[in-house]
This record gives sequence, C-alpha cells and structure tokens, in this order.
Amino acid sequence: MVIQALVFYLFAAVVVASAVMVISARNPVHSVLFLILAFFNAAGLFLLMGAEFLAMILVVVYVGAVAVLFLFVVMMLDVNVAQLRQGFLQYLPIGALVGLILLVELVMVLGAWVLAPGTVEGSGMPIPDPSQVTNTEALGRVIYDHYIYLFQAAGLILLIAMIGAIVLTLRQREGVRRQSISKQVARQRAEGVELKDVPSGGGV
Amino acid sequence: MSIGADIVAALPELFLAGTAIILLMLGVFMRDISTRSIGLLAVAALAFAGALIYLGDGRGTVAFNGLFLNDGFGDFMKVLVLIGAALTIVMALRGLEQEQMNQFEFPVLLVLATVGMLMMISANDLISLYMGLELQSLALYVVAAFRRDSLRSSEAGLKYFVLGSLASGMLLYGMSMVYGFTGSTSFDVLAQVFASQEDAPSIGLIVGIVFIAAGLAFKISAVPFHMWTPDVYEGAPTPVTAFLAAAPKVAAMALLVRVLMGPFGDLVAQWQQIVVFIALASMLLGSFAAIVQSNIKRLMAYSSIGHVGFALVGLAAGSEAGVRGVAVYMAIYLFMTVGVFAVILAMRVNGRAVEAMDDLKGLSKTNPLMALAMAALMFSMAGIPPLAGFFGKFYVFMAAVEAGLFELAVIGVLASVVAAYYYLRIVKVMYFDEPVEAFDKPVGSELASVLAISTLVIVLFVLIPGPIVDGAATAAEALTSAGR
Amino acid sequence: MDVAIVFLPLVGAILAGFFGRSLGDRGAQLVTSGGLVLAALFSIIVFFDVALGGNARTTELFTWIDSGAFELSWALRVDTLTAIMFCVVTIVSAIVHIYSIGYMSEDKSIPRFMAYLSLFTFFMLMLVSADNFVQMFFGWEGVGLASYLLIGFWYEKPSANAAAIKAFLVNRVGDVGFALGIAGAFLLFGAVQFDVVFGLVEGQADASVSIFGIEAHALTAICLLLFVGAMGKSAQLGLHTWLPDAMEGPTPVSALIHAATMVTAGVFMLCRLSPMFEYAPVALEVVTYVGAATALFAATVGLTQTDIKRVIAYSTCSQLGYMFFAIGVSAYSAAMFHLMTHAFFKALLFLGAGSVIHAMHHEQDMRKMGGLYNKIPVTYALMWIGSLALVGFGIPGVTGFAGFYSKDIVIEAAYAAESAAGGFAFWIGIVAALLTAFYSFRLLFMTFHGRPADQHAYEHAHESPRVMVWPLYVLAIGAVLAGAVFYPYFVGDAREAFWGNSLLVLHDIIEEAHHVPFWVKAAPMVVTVIGIALAWLFYIMAPSLPGLLAERLRPLYLFSFNKWYFDELYDRIFVRPAFHLGRSLWKSGDGALIDGLGPDGVASVTRNLAARAGKLQSGYLYHYAFAMMIGVVLLITWYMFRTMG
Repeated sequence: MVIQALVFYLFAAVVVASAVMVISARNPVHSVLFLILAFFNAAGLFLLMGAEFLAMILVVVYVGAVAVLFLFVVMMLDVNVAQLRQGFLQYLPIGALVGLILLVELVMVLGAWVLAPGTVEGSGMPIPDPSQVTNTEALGRVIYDHYIYLFQAAGLILLIAMIGAIVLTLRQREGVRRQSISKQVARQRAEGVELKDVPSGGGV
Repeated sequence: MSIGADIVAALPELFLAGTAIILLMLGVFMRDISTRSIGLLAVAALAFAGALIYLGDGRGTVAFNGLFLNDGFGDFMKVLVLIGAALTIVMALRGLEQEQMNQFEFPVLLVLATVGMLMMISANDLISLYMGLELQSLALYVVAAFRRDSLRSSEAGLKYFVLGSLASGMLLYGMSMVYGFTGSTSFDVLAQVFASQEDAPSIGLIVGIVFIAAGLAFKISAVPFHMWTPDVYEGAPTPVTAFLAAAPKVAAMALLVRVLMGPFGDLVAQWQQIVVFIALASMLLGSFAAIVQSNIKRLMAYSSIGHVGFALVGLAAGSEAGVRGVAVYMAIYLFMTVGVFAVILAMRVNGRAVEAMDDLKGLSKTNPLMALAMAALMFSMAGIPPLAGFFGKFYVFMAAVEAGLFELAVIGVLASVVAAYYYLRIVKVMYFDEPVEAFDKPVGSELASVLAISTLVIVLFVLIPGPIVDGAATAAEALTSAGR
Repeated sequence: MDVAIVFLPLVGAILAGFFGRSLGDRGAQLVTSGGLVLAALFSIIVFFDVALGGNARTTELFTWIDSGAFELSWALRVDTLTAIMFCVVTIVSAIVHIYSIGYMSEDKSIPRFMAYLSLFTFFMLMLVSADNFVQMFFGWEGVGLASYLLIGFWYEKPSANAAAIKAFLVNRVGDVGFALGIAGAFLLFGAVQFDVVFGLVEGQADASVSIFGIEAHALTAICLLLFVGAMGKSAQLGLHTWLPDAMEGPTPVSALIHAATMVTAGVFMLCRLSPMFEYAPVALEVVTYVGAATALFAATVGLTQTDIKRVIAYSTCSQLGYMFFAIGVSAYSAAMFHLMTHAFFKALLFLGAGSVIHAMHHEQDMRKMGGLYNKIPVTYALMWIGSLALVGFGIPGVTGFAGFYSKDIVIEAAYAAESAAGGFAFWIGIVAALLTAFYSFRLLFMTFHGRPADQHAYEHAHESPRVMVWPLYVLAIGAVLAGAVFYPYFVGDAREAFWGNSLLVLHDIIEEAHHVPFWVKAAPMVVTVIGIALAWLFYIMAPSLPGLLAERLRPLYLFSFNKWYFDELYDRIFVRPAFHLGRSLWKSGDGALIDGLGPDGVASVTRNLAARAGKLQSGYLYHYAFAMMIGVVLLITWYMFRTMG
C-alpha cells in the first residue's frame, strides 16, 4: 500500500508539474513535450486505479496521435510565443486575483464536502468484478449497451467535427494540378492515344 | 425497455440524424445536386420530424435507460425549434447563393445542429444534456465561420468556439461537482435526492449549480456570459445569424428551464437569485447597449440579450405560471426574430448586403409593405399592445409579480421602456427619414413568405392566442407536475 | 319655443360651420340669418307671454351632472329678465346677421363668420336662460370663446390676434373671480341652482367665512368675487383694457358683442343675482363706485380718441358704468332699462360707424374723414338719431329719445339713494353726461362736417347697400321709441307686475327716483345741451380750438389720449414681470432643472450608460473570457457570503 501511495504521489506531482510547464514553457515545442509527459503520468494514474484500458488508450491516442500532431503543427506554424504572451503581465494581477478568489472558494467548498444524505447508493452503473470481466469488455458493455444513446451522439459530434474541418479548410484551388485516381483508372485508351498517319518522308 | 421502444421514443431525432447523413451522402456523391435542393429536402425533413412529434403523442416517455425523456414541455419546445430551424433555412437558401457560400454542407450542418437541440430538450441526464449541447454547438461554430474567406466570419467562428469551449468547461465542472455531491447524473435521481432533503443543500452543490447555470447562460447569451453575442452576430454571415438568433436560443432556454425546474426544482430558493441576477443584468444591458448601435445585426444581438433577460424573469418566478410565461415568450420571440431577420436578409443594395440602420431610411416609401411588417415587428418587440410581444412580457411579468418579485418586474418594465426607444427609432427611421437607395427587388418569395408568416403570427396573436398559450400551458404543466 | 330660441342659432352655427363649404356663402348666410330672424320672432312672442303675461317658467332639458350631493340639469329659466335679454340678443343679433351679409360680402370666409356669430348668439342665450351658476358659467365661457374667435377673425392681422388674446386673457382674470364666486356660493349654500340659492340667502345673510385667517362677511365676499367676473365681461375700470382693442374685429362683431350683448352680461348677471346682492350692501357700494368711476374714466378717454370705433367703444364702457352704478343703488330695473335702450342705440351707432367705414373703404381714422353728410345722407341721419339717443336728448316731462328715459332714471335713482356712494355716482353721472354729449357730437361733426381731409376717399365714398341700411332702420326705430314705449313697464307704474319675481329689491328706489327735485331731472339735459354746444364750437365754429386746447392742456390731453396710461401700467405691473417670471421659470426652472434632471437628464444618462455598455465590447477574446470568469466568481462569492452569514 505504501508503495502504491508513493507511486501515486509521484505520478500526481509530475502531472501537475508538467501541466504547469505546458503553459509556462517559452518554447512551444517544449510545451508539447511536457504535455506528452503529463499524458504519460496520467496514464500511470489510471493504471494505479486498475483501469488499464484507459491507460493504454491515453498513451495510444493522446500521446501517439494527438500530441504528435500538435508537435507537427507547432513546428510547422512557427508560432511566435512572445507575441502571444503580450498582455499577459498586464492582466496577471487581476487574473491572479480572480483565480485566487475562486481557488479559496473551491477549497472551502471541498472542505465542506458531504455526500448528500438522500443519495441513492450505487445509483451509477455497478462495477463488475474485475476478476470475471476484463476492463475492455466491461467498458464495451456499458458504452455499446447502456449508453448507446450517448455513444451515437458522440459519433454525430465527431461527424460534425469532420465535416467542419473539411468545409473550413478544404479548397479546390484553380490551377493546381492534383492527382485524381479514379480519373486515372477510368481513363480509356482513346482519350490518351491519338493515331496519326505520318506521311512517309514528311516527318512528324 | 427494449431497443425498439427506445427507437420509437426518439424517432424524430433519429429520423433527422439519418436524414442529415443521407443528405450528406447525396451532396458528396451527386456532384450536380444543388444546395437549394439539399436545403429544401432538409426543410422537408424538419417538417416531417415536426409532424412525428405532433402526431406521436404516445411514443413513450423515458428511453435509453433514463437518458432520454419525452414530455409535453419537450414536445412544445421541439416544435418551436423545428419551426425556427425550418424558417431560417428557407430564408438562408437565397442568401447562400448570393453570398458565395453555396455549399451543400450548410443545410446538413444545420440539420445536425437541430438534432442536437432536440437532444438537449429531451435530456434527462447531465451527460445526455452535455452531448446534445455539444452536438448543437459544434455545428454552430462551424457555420458561424462558414464564409471562410471573410476575416470577420472566421473571427466570429473562432471567438464563438473558444468562448463556447470555456462555457462547456464550466458546465462540465459544475456537473462534476453535482455528481460529486449526489453521486448521480440522472435527473430523476437528482430530483429524488433533493426532494428527500430536509436541510439546506451544501455550498458545494450550489457552486455546482452556479457553474451549470453559467454554462447554460452562455448558450442563451445572458449577461455576463453574453460577450460573444454581438461580435458573432455581426461577424457571421447573415443567414447564419438568423439561425443562431432563433432556434438555438429557444432550445437553450428550454434546457435551462428543464434543468432548473426539473432536477433542481426543489432548490428554487437557491438558484432563484442567480436567475434574478442574470435576468436583471441581461434586461438592462440589452436595453442600454443597443441604443448606441448602428449596425442592425449588432442591434439584434443586444435585442436578443434583452429578450432573454425578459424570458428569464418568468423562470425566476420558479412557478408553473413562470414556465408558461417563458414558453410563450420564447415562442413569440422566435417569430419576431425570424421576421426581423427576413427583413435584414432583404437589405441588399445593388447585389451587396448592407446592414447599417441608416440603410433602412425611408423604407416606407421605397417598400411600404416591408416597412409595415417591420414596423409591426418592432412595435411587438417593444412590447406595445395589441401585438404579441406585449403578451409575452405580460405573462412573464405577471408570473414574477405573483411570485413576489416586484422589484424584478418593475425594473423589467423600465428596461422595456428603454428598449422601446431603439425599436421605435427604427420605425422612425423607416417612416420619417428621407429615403436612401432602395433595396433590390424582388426580395424573393422565400423571404417574403417567411416575413408574411411571422408578421401574421405576431399581429394575429391577440385574436388567436390559443395555439401558443394553450400549448405553453400544457408544456408548463407537464414540466412542473413531473418532478413532484 | 324657449328651446327653439336657444337652439336655432346653434343649429345655424353647426350647419354653417361644418357644412359651409357645401352650403356656399349664400346658403350659410340664409341658414344663420333665417334662424336668427325666427328666433327673434319667437323671442317677441315669449316676451309678450312671459313679461307682459306674467308666465315665468323653467324648462328642464336633461340631467347634466349627478355626482353625490352635486346635482344639476340643463334647464331654461325664462322669466321677465330672461325674456328681455332674449329680445335684445336675438333682435340685435338678427339685425347684425343681416347687416353682415352686406358688410362682409367681400370676405373670403363668410360661412365661418356667420357660424361664429350664430355660435356666439347661442352661448349668449344659454347664459341668459341659465337656471344655475354652472350653466351660466358655461354660457359665460362660451361667449368668451366666441368673442375670441370673432375678434381674431381676421387672423392674418397680427394686431387682431393680439387683441383677441388680450380680450381672452383679461376676461380670464374676471372668470377666475366668477368661478371662485360660484364655488363660494356652493360652499355656503350647498347648491348652485338659482332658486335654491335665492331661497337660502336670507338665512345666510349674516354668515361669515374665514379667508386666509380673516373673518369676512360671506355674502359680501361671494358677491365681490362674482362682481369681479362681471367687471371682466363688462369692461369695468381695471379690467376694461380689452374692450377698445377688441375693435380690431369686424364692425358687426363690435356692434353685437362689444356693445349690445356680451358686455352687458355682467349687468345681467348682477340683476339676476339681485337677491344675493341685496343682502350684501358693502358689495353694492363697491359696485356703485366702480361703475361711476368707469363712467367718468371712459368718457374722458372718449374725448380725445380719433378712431371712430374706439370712441364708440369707450362710450360703451362709460354707459356700462352707468348701468353698474344703477345696480349699486339697487335700481336693477333702471339698469336693465338702460341696458335695453343702450343695446339699440349703441348697435345703431356701431353699425352706422360700420357703414361709414364701409363707405370710406375701411378707413377708421376720423381725422381722415369729414364732410361726408352729403355723400352718405342716410347713414348721416341714422348716426344723428343714434347720437341723440346716446346723449339722452329729450325734453324733460314731455318726451325724448330712448337714452333720455333710461339715463335720466339712472341718474335720478343715484340721487335718490341719498348715500355717499349715490351722491358720488350722481355727480359723476352729470359730468359724464356732459362729456358724452361732447364726444358724441365731436364724432358726428368730425366725420360728417367740415372739410374732407382725404379728397380721394371722399369722392369714392358711397352709400351702403340696402341689406346694410334696412337693419339700421329697425334699430333707429328702437333708439327713438324704446324709451317712451317701455318706460311704464320697466320703471314706471306697471313695473311691479312686469318684473314679477325676477328681481328682488328690498328698498324701492325707483319710486323715490320719481320724486326727486326738478333740477335733478333737468340737470342731465342741461349739461347735454352744453356739451353739444361745446362740440359745435370746437369742431364747426373754430376748428383750430381743439389743437390749441390740447397744446395748452398737454398733460391732461395726453393723459386722456393715452387712456390714463392703463395699458402702460399693466404692462409694467403685470405683463413684464409675468414675462420675466415665465422666462426665468422656463430657462432655469423648466429648462435647466426639470428637463435637466428629468427627460434630458435621464436621456443623457441613458446614452452615457449605453456608450459604456458598448465600450465593454472590446472585441478581445480574453476580455470576454475574463468577463465570464468574473461573473461566475461573483455569483459564487455571493452564495458563499449568503450561506456563511
């Protein structure tokens, strides 16, 4: 138990520290790298709770795909961080004040944390016995059965995201030669080949 | 409950979602199909969904393991949303062609946004609420930036997106707090928990409610979560603005009412002050800030902020009469807004859209019918009897007075006086100023008919208030009796 | 028939006023004049029935106000007093209507003029037939309105507009008094019906009322207030300034309103209220002094005026003074008698003057006339008759013109009163008679004799059309005969049966007036002859004399010529301070204070707020996000404090 607790605090501390670094690092590439570090540690926290599927998904999707994509974007866009930071100091005091107030209040709220007395125990989904059912299967049962409605809604949301990305960025520029595979495949001989009778001695 | 019954219960939503995907396929694979035909098909689908709701009274109440709920309140609001969406898509058709945004994705996105709105209204769980909200919002972010070559449109979309994300964050944070303090996200369970509670709820719960209310207040653009509204209304293409101002407002308001009156219905004393505060702030800011606006779209943004404030007065009452007032108000607001945007969409000089108030000068001479309709709408917005707008205000203020919120009602009436100033100024500009260049004619049958429909609804409301008032009464009764 | 008399003019006014365009000029003239002639005939019948037959009656029309203890109806009270006024008003009005057909023939808006005239007549009849104070007030205000409309009839003329406004405003002062008097009467008697009030007067004769802490005799206070009203309408000294200016109106208007009818409303009112005034001796004394002072004042002013109509106007003012002091000595019947005869000869004079003006192409300045007697002989003769009637020419004990009978009985009554006020009035009356004779014949001589001052105008002078002359004949007959014929009924032996209950006199002064010494009876005649002789001397014999005299007695001349500086005085005392007060209230009070804090202030604060609210919208994303955060924090903090505290 002690080791578990120690590991938990290690992971948690690193997550928080790297999260701070994400927003404070000068170099945006460093920021993304710290983000990846934060993801890894969060995955570690999931593992500690026995949610190995989530831990793996986090590593595969967020680290493997999203963060790397971020990295590419940051490197390609060459964002001038100094410019983005303009006004940061100007608003720091009042921002800090608001943040501080909110923090104090939330601490007070958490200090007074009591589960509402009328709460129905186990009103959420019952957690299946991990020895009987794998993590992945349990999640699948919940997502595809009990929460099918939400799953489908999420699908629609992703569809919109896709449509939106295409609508807002895809351009059919004039004068740009692009490969059209279907055109290439469907090309007939007659379209590309022209037979000419070359008179003898006349040249082409 | 079997999945078949679930599907039947959510048939209108499912039908619309399926239609959206089919329309998308049509647009992608039939190269020569026009945006107009896609749009008309979308409108037909919306109408059919409306018919499904209207005819399908007995299609079950709770579905999908308690995530989805059908009731009289939802049906009323859904029909309103569908009407608003359908009318604004009809209006948008010509605008799309004129504004070089002739892409078939536009109606598809709007249909998907409408699906999101219906899901919001039917939400019976914090998670399904959030899903519906995001479905709607994401589609709207995209359409706000739809004219990607226009800097203003892109900026509008981006602002909307970033601030919307912030609001979503607040909403989620509030939900997590509520979950943390009650152990459930289901509306039914929450209502049970609060009903059985004797003493005052813990402060953490209230903070959670504040965050949820803030997140939802962003969607109805209530002060102080309204900041995006003027910029987005002005920057977005006018057909999009018309859509933004109508159906999503109704849906978000319905959602707010459902959340506060449903699961948190027993905590009226707790959340009443939030609602009173944002109602006051919205009414005052909406009335005052609009005075100095010269851009009519921006003016409409402030106008909608003010109207939301008035509608919230009804919610602040926290009674059945209040909910009925909100429902009536939103229904009337919907028609007024659609009508006004029909006029704004018709404001084109030499093929170019204009949106300054001065461009309306002397409209009574260049296009008397349009000016007359606009004047009726403006008088209604100002709340001058016997037009519908008066009755909307009447119902909410009466509810507030019955609930003992006299100060709120009085300030509300004063704010409506201030607001009357800029509405009547438009009438003055149209009728008493020297004409400037006339608008292009003809305005198009779509705009003309939408304008005619909405103006008739507003003018004839006093004679035939039945459909709206009775519907709202049934809706309010369904909502307030369900939780008890 | 009573109803027909009162409402025929209204019908005519409505027809001519609202349908004048379709009726046409001729139609409007026929409708209104016809109505009036009919009303005049009815009036004569009513006069015989009521005054001579003794059939006083009250016709209830319908309930007007029924509010708690305050009940009153529209009713026509027709007794001898009313019957006389009916005759005077309708006959003079009918004549003026007919005369106007000729006089106004070149005007652009004849139907409007005729409608106004008829409307005025209706209100005047309403006034005289009133059965209660409120109805009388209605008629009272109505004639004020009609007078305003008629004085300002030529509204293109700024002077006419100013005169109309002046008449209206000065009358307002009197009307306030009248209204307060009515309120006082209601307070004291709890009713406004004349019958009820008169019945209660005796019981309340000694009642007192506290006004601003001063105990006062209630009836005296009320009567004085009512008298203020009468002063306004009848242009008595102090509130007379509007009458001469009112001559800006068309001449028929001057004849009808400002000589024969409206200005006598005050006299009529006091006679009608004789049961009240009889119990307020102090008030009567005041009436006497004011009346006498007016008689003298107006006569002196009349001496030097050059506008033909203004001379007659001041003469009217002066004659009204006679009537008032007659009332002051309780000789109500004498006042009414003089009122009636005066109506005839003054209307004759005015219309005659109108005829002269018409002949001279709307020239009113007497200095530009002269020698007209052979150009317009008919008018000349009629003016003679009018003037002789005005100065009260007659042979004591034998016969005379109308004015002779009525003026003499007034002066004799004043003498017979044997009081300080009566004596004052008597001597004033004698002096005023001298002055009256002088200015009347001055007018006559300046206009018709001597050299034509303006040869061109003289040559183009022409006699008026028949439609204007014929009415004058009727009036001339009245001016000659009215005195002799009606003397026995009004103030003679038949007076008791004649008046019936319409007047109340505690002490029969008329009887005593018949038994005054001969020199009292002869004195007016003597001074009149002296006055005529003086006028003849000044304007026929030695035309240079007036100028010389004016030069010598320049202060006196100027004093008279400038009407005792009343207008200048009022300008200083009331008009300018009021103007300054108004201006300062407008600029600093209303403009700066009320508008500044009220509408303008609210509007500017609103705009300010609006501008600020607009500024909040900076366009920066992080501002917006910040606003949202602050909003949330504020709400949470609010709840924190609420649950903590």
